[in-house]
Amino acid sequence: LGACRVSMSMAEIRAGFAAIKANIQSRDPVRSLSILSHPHSLHKVKSSDRCCIAHHLFTFYVDKVFRHCRTEDSFVNRKISSIANSFLSARRKLGQCREQNNCVCGEESTEKFKQILANYEGLNVTSAAMKSLGELDILLDWMEKSR
Amino acid sequence: SGELYCSLPNPRNVRFESVNMKNVLHWSAPEGSGDGVLYKVKYAVYGVGKWIRKPECRNINRTWCDLSSETSDYEEQYYASVKAFLNGTCSDWMETARFNPLTDTKIDPPMVSVSSTDKSISIILTAPEKWKGSPEEESISLLQVYPGLQYNVSVLNKKTKKRWFFSISNNTLVVPWLEPGTAYCVSAQIHVTTPLLDSGFSKEHCIATLKDK
Repeated sequence: LGACRVSMSMAEIRAGFAAIKANIQSRDPVRSLSILSHPHSLHKVKSSDRCCIAHHLFTFYVDKVFRHCRTEDSFVNRKISSIANSFLSARRKLGQCREQNNCVCGEESTEKFKQILANYEGLNVTSAAMKSLGELDILLDWMEKSR
Repeated sequence: SGELYCSLPNPRNVRFESVNMKNVLHWSAPEGSGDGVLYKVKYAVYGVGKWIRKPECRNINRTWCDLSSETSDYEEQYYASVKAFLNGTCSDWMETARFNPLTDTKIDPPMVSVSSTDKSISIILTAPEKWKGSPEEESISLLQVYPGLQYNVSVLNKKTKKRWFFSISNNTLVVPWLEPGTAYCVSAQIHVTTPLLDSGFSKEHCIATLKDK
């Protein structure tokens, strides 16, 4: 991710998400809004900004998404907490790398992240968190494409 | 548009079926509807509020519609929807789940070509190409779409029935120290670790090593 190489088990996170994707996405009836992909696409983030944006996004998921995604389904909850734990450790590593490499977000990417937060705040917390969780593959696709 | 109260049963099992990102919408006819049912199709990019009609799939009687060109940007995700009509009445719009071309496609096996010497066989593997709308379009190998793409290769000694498995990232493999004048059969599979995607194994390509000089 730009200057930072963070080891995290993408296959495990992907498998966890794939197991709950249909369940989570079916709880999000709003097709005309996206948290991560519209109006700005993550895929247009400059490579020099990837490390900083990724850290912001990991913090976003840890602080604003996973904690608001409890469901009545214990299987789904277990998968969510497993993904959350992977994100927690990745965020720590990314944070350390960011400091060491002084990764800063450019103006354009800062705007993109502000838009992501605005998209999130445009919905009530539970809907916004569930929609964000349902878009985890958008984040994972972007991270893997940036490898 | 002449639609009366929609009392027709709904199309069922509306879903994308995708191979090498050729993305085709499929559905089953409404229960007990018999002949004469017509359909229309629309699709939407996730995160964009507009449904877009597919003119080529308006008033069709088949139960599929190719949306490959409409869903060719695999950085986006999509929904599609189908409505049925019969004798002036209609069904509800029935939607797919969210479709991610990158993770929800299936991949064909690689193409395999083999050659041999007296004591080795050389295998060249070619990943399938991403679907494209016309031959003039630029070809995109799935290797470009999935940077982590690998090949699992199986080599069988037809005489001893001994089988070896190899997992390689590049597309060529030379298997040395083989027996001269012996038939070997090669089959290969594509494996992408994340997102997790595995093709089936290709059909077997058999070749004999040259006899001893």
